[in-house]
Amino acid sequence: MSTGGGPKADILQGTLDLMVLQILATLGPLHGYALAARLELVSKGVLKLNMGTLYPALMRLEQRGLLRGDWGVTDNNRKARFYGLTKAGRRELVAERAEWDRMVSILHALLHEG
Amino acid sequence: MTRVREWIDRLRGTLRPRRSDGELEEELRLHFQLAAEEAQRRGESPSGAARTAAIEAGGVAQVMEALRDQRGFPWCRDLGRDLHYACRGLVRNPGLAVVAVASLALGIGANTAIFSLVNSLLLRALPVREPGQLVLVGSGTDSRIPYWSSEIWEQLQHRPQLFDGTVAWATARFDLSARGETQFVDGVWASDSYFDVLGVQAILGRTFSSADDQPGDTPRTPVAVVSYAFWQRYFDGAPSAIGRTVTLDRVGFTVIGVTPPDFFGTDVGQTFDVAVPLGFKPLTDGSQNGSRRPILVTIMARLRPGQTRDVATAALRGVQPQVRDATLPKGWPKQFLDRYLKDAFALVPAVTGNSTLRQQYQRPLLTIMVVGALVLLIACANVANLLLARATARRHEFSVRRAVGASRWRLVRQLLIESAVLAGLGTAVGLLIASWGSHVLVRQLAKQIADAGRNATTNRVFLDLSLDWRVLAFTTGVTAATALLFGLAPALRASLVAPVDALRQHTRGSAGDARAGLASGLVVAQVAFSLMLVVAAGLFARTLSSLTARPLGFDQTGVLLVDVDLGRAHLDPSERAALYQRARDAVSMLPGVANAAVAALPPIASRVIGQPIQSVSGGPSLPPTGRMSALNVVTPGWFDTLGTRLVAGRDFTDRDRLGTPPLVIVNETFVRVFTNGANPVGQTISIFLPGPPPPPMEIIGVAADAVYASSLRDTIEPTIYLPLAQCGEVWSRFLASMNLSVRPSGGSPAPLTRSVAAAILAVNPELSLTFRSLSSQIDASLTQERVLAQVAGFFGALALVLASLGLYGVTSYAVNRRRVEFGVRMALGATPGSVVGLVLARACTLVLLGLVIGATASVWASKFVALLLYGLEPRDPSTVVGAAALLAAVAGMAAWLPAMRASRIDPAVTLRSE
Repeated sequence: MSTGGGPKADILQGTLDLMVLQILATLGPLHGYALAARLELVSKGVLKLNMGTLYPALMRLEQRGLLRGDWGVTDNNRKARFYGLTKAGRRELVAERAEWDRMVSILHALLHEG
Repeated sequence: MTRVREWIDRLRGTLRPRRSDGELEEELRLHFQLAAEEAQRRGESPSGAARTAAIEAGGVAQVMEALRDQRGFPWCRDLGRDLHYACRGLVRNPGLAVVAVASLALGIGANTAIFSLVNSLLLRALPVREPGQLVLVGSGTDSRIPYWSSEIWEQLQHRPQLFDGTVAWATARFDLSARGETQFVDGVWASDSYFDVLGVQAILGRTFSSADDQPGDTPRTPVAVVSYAFWQRYFDGAPSAIGRTVTLDRVGFTVIGVTPPDFFGTDVGQTFDVAVPLGFKPLTDGSQNGSRRPILVTIMARLRPGQTRDVATAALRGVQPQVRDATLPKGWPKQFLDRYLKDAFALVPAVTGNSTLRQQYQRPLLTIMVVGALVLLIACANVANLLLARATARRHEFSVRRAVGASRWRLVRQLLIESAVLAGLGTAVGLLIASWGSHVLVRQLAKQIADAGRNATTNRVFLDLSLDWRVLAFTTGVTAATALLFGLAPALRASLVAPVDALRQHTRGSAGDARAGLASGLVVAQVAFSLMLVVAAGLFARTLSSLTARPLGFDQTGVLLVDVDLGRAHLDPSERAALYQRARDAVSMLPGVANAAVAALPPIASRVIGQPIQSVSGGPSLPPTGRMSALNVVTPGWFDTLGTRLVAGRDFTDRDRLGTPPLVIVNETFVRVFTNGANPVGQTISIFLPGPPPPPMEIIGVAADAVYASSLRDTIEPTIYLPLAQCGEVWSRFLASMNLSVRPSGGSPAPLTRSVAAAILAVNPELSLTFRSLSSQIDASLTQERVLAQVAGFFGALALVLASLGLYGVTSYAVNRRRVEFGVRMALGATPGSVVGLVLARACTLVLLGLVIGATASVWASKFVALLLYGLEPRDPSTVVGAAALLAAVAGMAAWLPAMRASRIDPAVTLRSE
């Protein structure tokens, strides 16, 4: 996954899956560009995903059965592939979110203890 | 869990992608367009927006590559590409491919063939239930598995607490014919427990039950179980075979079952056609009262679950005194009985079955295996040399690939895959060669037994050569090892190419010289290995020739041998001797017959009768149990018929018969051993026999030593010859079948066969006859030596060809590389002769170095084959020197051709092209 490049991509690496799952859980099925745009918006322009990071991740999640991609039509009538959560994806999101919260609380305790 | 799903999906993606490249690209293009539109919305020009989108979103081509990697397994895709490329490379260069594949095929094929023999003879487990639990009953004093009296087996059988079952069997040859000339099938006398204890189920009908073989009683109906192969051959695989009758030794047996196709019995190296319960033995022996006489059997037992061999041995030794006591042979002198009682039982693992062939062929086979490995090494060196040459030609390609970003490992992998393709093709062809070669080898061995072993204990050679996991693992291992061996050096060398080399036009750097150095090293190794093989071939060929040239003490030419078997001819033992005499008289009367005589054993009969001698008058005193001598029973005229001289005294005559004083003839070795060389004629011999001590026999003659044993290598043993006419009841066990030797008055014995058969059958039509010539019997006894000499000779020749090809290649390459240099030299006045000298000097250095290394290695390795040689020392100097000279001559030829080419270089042409 060298296409992403740079330290920012490395930080994303571990959390990208969680962010994608969360966005899809909130907004329902989206195509790749909309997903990237949403992430950029939420992060106030900090997280700009290029295609080389986003699409292999989507494919990986789909291969693991967490997402399901289907061809559909966008608002302005363009053919696009829409990704939605599967049941396994929802379960994974719950588990991942709990894990994330736990990590954050550990880190928080560690960093603010003394 | 999800990780597994990803892998499965990737695997599927590798084989047949669910999402095509076009579909992926469409998705990316939309993303790109949307990004560009967004930029335009922010107020950029259309071209500026495209650039911004390209920067932010990334290039479609690179993303596609990442997606393809994610879709399948990248290494798998690369592998496919490399394979494709390797195959294309081979097709472009068919000469190299053919030479490489052919030499690898020969090497791998030879190794696989030999290994499949080794596997089936030495390694493969019996195809029965839990073969690891089987043990053979052996003797504590002899590493070979002895034949036991069937009485011992009965004793073990009556002590079921010892084992989880015991079996006893004896191989036999049954005569299928109703009368006249014999038609043999391989048989086995088996205890009724045989199939049950082994866990072999009939695929049709049933196997033996205990009702089929009741000791002491004559069983109700004679029954037989037949092998799958016999069922197919004789009954065409018809289910109706059950209940049909086969005639074995003139007795009808009802077929009750068929064994599975993979079951060949418990003697590895043999197979059986029919199995018959031990209890029917008296029937085919022609004994009317059906009394059961002990026969010699091999005994196998199955250990109980959890019972170790040591525990079982201890238990067996615990009952040994009773078992031995109950089976004491009757009438033997006390000294022998003491020894019999003391001989301890031992249990030997029998997972691979029982085999006499194994002992005989273990060493030759392992020798051939080493020879095969050497050939493969030479072939590898050859292919490595070819690949090195090709790698040099491809330097430009490699440096270009390095320059555009291929890693060093990538190049090595690519070249190793090319090697693997070559090795794989070589293996495919090699497997064909192997299956052909191993069958040829087995046929050669089988021929020996078929010709020589015409006695009741030796059957056809049979080896199950089907591929099993061991052979496949071996071949795969060999293939991988060869691919690495010949592929690694050229691959590593190629990977050292620097990317900048691509930019230079004429690269004649140091790498080229290093390549020449490596290639020269390979040639030295080839010469050394080849010398070892040629030396081995020489040693085995000379062994064969010294055995062939060994003075035999008889004249084999023209002599016809006829096995005469009483079969079902119901004859009182006292009438047997007379019957053979009459048959002999009838045959010697025939026109075209110069001499005919009967003996218990013909020369090289592959068995010997041992007889302990108690004392010889006038000779040194002997130990209490006597000293062994070989024994034969002959009629008058036997020495004349075989052309063996009598060096003192006289032959037996027709007047020497039962009732006249017992006589004996001895051989020269007997005189040396038993009378210290003093003339023994007139002295007497006392021998040990069961029953009352026989009267001493007077020595009336001394016969010249004759080779007269199981093989031509055996030393000549002291031998006594008894006259058939004086052999009473005590000898009757030798008289069930005898051998008639016929010397024709001139020409070939073959036309005599018919009249001889007619004459013998006129005496008694129940006799069964088997014909062969004495020379074919002797020929066949040399099979092991001949096969070794042939195989080593073939491989030696192959090695010579491969090594000279290697030397030719390296020398040609050197000549090509030094073209300009030679051109300059000749332009400056060097003669063609001096150029030839320059080239040859280099080749000679390599060959000499190889010869020195090879000779040293041969001398060292020859001690391992010492036991296989005859009539020469393992380090036989003339063989080594001869082999080196032959190799040097062939190598000289191989270097001469490129040297001549070098001398014909036109200086003007070369200099202009530069």
